[in-house]
Amino acid sequence: MAVKKDYKDQVLVEKLRDRKYYIPDSNPEFIKEVEKIGLTPAHMCYQCGTCTGSCPSAPRSSYRIRLFMRKAILGLEDEILTDPDLWLCTTCYSCTDRCPRDLAPTDVIMAMRNLAARRDIVPRNFLKTTQLIYNTGHGVPNNDANRAARLKLGLEADPETTHKYPEFLVGIRKLLDHYGLKEKADRILAEGE
Amino acid sequence: MSNHKYAFFLGCIAPNRYPGIEASAIKTSEKVGIELLPLKGASCCPAPGAFGAIDLNIWYAMAARNVVLAEQMGVDITLICNGCYKSIYEVNEKLKHNDELRDGVNEVLKEIDMEFKGTIDVWHLAELYYDPKIVGLKKIADSVTRPLSGVKIAVHYGCHLMKPGKERHFGDTENPMWIEELVEALGAEPVQYRNKMLCCGAGGGVRGFDLVHSLDITNEKMINLQEVGADALTEVCPFCQLQYDRGQIEIEDKFGITWGLPVLHYNELLGLAQGMSPDELALDLHAVNVEPFLKKIL
Repeated sequence: MAVKKDYKDQVLVEKLRDRKYYIPDSNPEFIKEVEKIGLTPAHMCYQCGTCTGSCPSAPRSSYRIRLFMRKAILGLEDEILTDPDLWLCTTCYSCTDRCPRDLAPTDVIMAMRNLAARRDIVPRNFLKTTQLIYNTGHGVPNNDANRAARLKLGLEADPETTHKYPEFLVGIRKLLDHYGLKEKADRILAEGE
Repeated sequence: MSNHKYAFFLGCIAPNRYPGIEASAIKTSEKVGIELLPLKGASCCPAPGAFGAIDLNIWYAMAARNVVLAEQMGVDITLICNGCYKSIYEVNEKLKHNDELRDGVNEVLKEIDMEFKGTIDVWHLAELYYDPKIVGLKKIADSVTRPLSGVKIAVHYGCHLMKPGKERHFGDTENPMWIEELVEALGAEPVQYRNKMLCCGAGGGVRGFDLVHSLDITNEKMINLQEVGADALTEVCPFCQLQYDRGQIEIEDKFGITWGLPVLHYNELLGLAQGMSPDELALDLHAVNVEPFLKKIL
C-alpha cells in the first residue's frame, strides 16, 4: 500500500492535518468572483511570470502581477484588496497580449479594483474623474483658455458633446445614479475633507 | 470626394486640451474622402482605467450610450484616441458577442429610452487612413503638398489601440510597422527605437494615482527616443500626447532632466504635410516647443 509522505508520529500528524494547506483568511469564492467580473479564467494561471516580465510598472515598484494572480487563486482577498500596488497597473495589456494561457491578467486587476471599490477602497483621483463625468459628461472638461483657442481654430467654443448639448447630461446622470456612483464618490471624497 | 461618412467621436483630451487634433482630423480627413459628422451629446468614452476601475458595469453602460447615439444616426464611429478606442470599440464588440452582458446593459439603458442593437462598427481614424479600401497610403501621399522631408520621426503606437492583439485586428503587436508607413507617406523618415511598444505611463489611472511612477515610465521612453535622434514623436492618442508633452515639463520639474522632444498627433503631422499652418493646428498649446521641428520642415 502506498503511503503518503508524512511524519511517523501520529500525534504530530493529527496536529498538522489542517494547518499545512490552510490559510486562515483565505476565501475560496474570491477567484470565482474575480473571474465573473474580469471575464477571464484566471485560475488557469500556471505562474510562468511572462506577465511580470512584460510589465512596465514592475521594474519601478513592488507591483507584481504574477503575485496578484497567485494570491487571487489562493483567495487572499483582504491582502489583495488593501494593497496599494493594485492601482499601479497602467492597463497596457502587455501581459494579456503575451500570456501563454490566453488569460487577461489586466482584467483580473480591473476586477479586483472593482471589488476593492465595493469596499470603498479607491484612490481619490479615480473618484474625482467620476464626479467630473457626472457634472460635465467629460473626465477632462473644457476650460476658458481652451475655448478661446478653439474659436481661433474656427471651431465652436464647446465641442459637439455634452458640453454643447448639456441636455444629454440628464441621461448620463440617470445611468451613474443607477449604480450609485456619484453618491459613492461624494461620500468617500468627503471623508478626506 | 467625400464618400465615406462616420460619426466623429471626440472624447475629452483632443477637444478640451489639444483642439488642433480635432481641427486637423476634420480638415485632413476631408482631403482624403472622409466626412466626419458630429456625434451630438457624446460624453467621455468613459476612461477605461480611471472609470472602469470603479465599476466595469457602468463603464459598459456609458460606452454603450455613446455607441447608441451613432446607431441612431445609422453610421459607423471613427475616433482619434486610443483610450476612446478601448472603451467604444471594445464595449461595442463585447456587447455584440456576449448576450448576458448586452441584456444587462440594455436593462439599464431602458431607463433612458435607449437600446444597444449592435448595428455599427468602430474605427480609429488612423486605421481608416491606412486601409486601402477607405483611404490608403497612396491617397495620403497624394494629399501631401508640403513633404516632411529631412526629419526623423519616431512612432508611439499606444497600448489600447493594439493590445490585446487577440481582441483586435492589427496583426503583430510586438513590432508593428503600419503607422511608420503612414509617416513615410508624408515624406518623413520613420525611425525605430528600443522597446517601441512600451506604454507611455499614463494609463490605468496611474498618472493621477502616482505621477512620479508614471513619469518614470515616460522618462524611459525619452531615453530610448534620444538614442536614435528623433526630431519628433508622433502618436495617435491625445492622452499619450498629454503624457509625453506635459510630462516632459513635469519630468524637468521632478527629475531635473530636459528632453525638449516635440510631440505631435499623426493628424497634426498630416495637417502640416497638407499645408495647414502651425496656427491652424494650435501648436502653441503644446507644452514642449514645436518650433525646432517646424524650422526643419517649413
